[in-house]
Amino acid sequence: MSRTSSRALLALTLILIAGGLLILNLGGYLQAAQGLALRPLGGIQGWISQRVLAVRTLLTSPTDLAELTAENQRLQAEVARLEREVIALREQANEAEVLAGLLGYARTRPESRYVAARVIGQDVSPFIRSIWIGQGSDAGVQQGMPVVTERGLVGRVAEVYSTVSRVQLITDPESVVNVRLQTSRGDGVLRARVNGELWVDLIEQGVSVTPGELVLSSGLGGAFPEDIPVGQIVTVRKRDYELFQQAVVQASADLDNLEIVLVIANFRPSAPPGAP
Amino acid sequence: MASFLGILLMALLAVVQSSVLARFTFLEGTPNLILLACVSWALTGRVVEAMLWGFFGGLFLDLLSGAPFGVSSMALVVAVYLASLTEGRFWEAHPLAPLGVVGIASVVYYGLTLTAVWLAGHPVDPALALTQVILPSTFLNLLLALPASQLAGRVRQAAFPPPVRMG
Repeated sequence: MSRTSSRALLALTLILIAGGLLILNLGGYLQAAQGLALRPLGGIQGWISQRVLAVRTLLTSPTDLAELTAENQRLQAEVARLEREVIALREQANEAEVLAGLLGYARTRPESRYVAARVIGQDVSPFIRSIWIGQGSDAGVQQGMPVVTERGLVGRVAEVYSTVSRVQLITDPESVVNVRLQTSRGDGVLRARVNGELWVDLIEQGVSVTPGELVLSSGLGGAFPEDIPVGQIVTVRKRDYELFQQAVVQASADLDNLEIVLVIANFRPSAPPGAP
Repeated sequence: MASFLGILLMALLAVVQSSVLARFTFLEGTPNLILLACVSWALTGRVVEAMLWGFFGGLFLDLLSGAPFGVSSMALVVAVYLASLTEGRFWEAHPLAPLGVVGIASVVYYGLTLTAVWLAGHPVDPALALTQVILPSTFLNLLLALPASQLAGRVRQAAFPPPVRMG
């Protein structure tokens, strides 16, 4: 057999095996194996993610960096220890700030029970917008649970393993959230495009929507609790010949820089992820 | 041994892809480290290992993704197989050949994964996906193609030096 045809055969074999795994996964037979594989991967992911965040925090603080440089000139021998200390303290301060915000949010909603989780990674597929969090079924996380920060809605739990979970962000094109406009009281459906742009669709023509208006989850459909801030209206598109008007929304939560999130653990969704 | 080490490397690259690279995007695109590693390794002539790396690397990527499990694996094996077709061609040794191969492999890889995601019922806007994701990601892969192939060539030289005939 020639080298080219043996390679083609190997490629075909591997593709068939991958196809088999795809079918097994669709049938739900690989859940346990995936959970097992994700244990070590999730641990490494969390470790790397924390270091990356710490370095990024250091790099984005030019004043402190200059201070560190001056320190470096004065006391060369001390600098390595100081840098380590500064990174650790800044990371702790950041974390404390985030946790304080989350705690403040949790206090405003005492009826909910929360599981705090660190964001350990993002979806590697550029076509899907989701994050990995470092809490899973061991901590009581279940599929469909809403995920928030102190600033607003993040998404909902799409996949759960023992120690990690995947959260589908509201900016994922498959995500659908029923929303209510706070001032005009209009209802709509929040969807996202592949570039993460958020749109509220199906707003009735008679509703007077204004830029800056706050968008809240309406709770309709039972996928999310009501009155969680989702975003703010940026622009409104209203055409007389269309049945509904649309609006572009800026998400309340900073979905590109999530560090710690809260899973609302006592909310039982009545709709599967992806359904409104 | 090289296959086993490569599989460990793929696991590490998948984690780095998820924890680090996903935070640094150009438009909505990111370079794909596993695609670059597999294609670059295939270009050094170690095609069978590169295919195995692609297969397992794809599984690791799919573990850390909401995309259907196995899809990245298939797409990477196809991409590596296409890269292997350059072997023995007269332009194989051209210094810019990795650019062409990585460019084609990237488009094939993203095209296949996008199709799979769409078939899985995920809403997809082809025009936005092309302009915001596929082209920027391919561009970033192209930027890294030459350093990646240089690195792969050096590792290949160091790990598998060509036999020297004595006498």
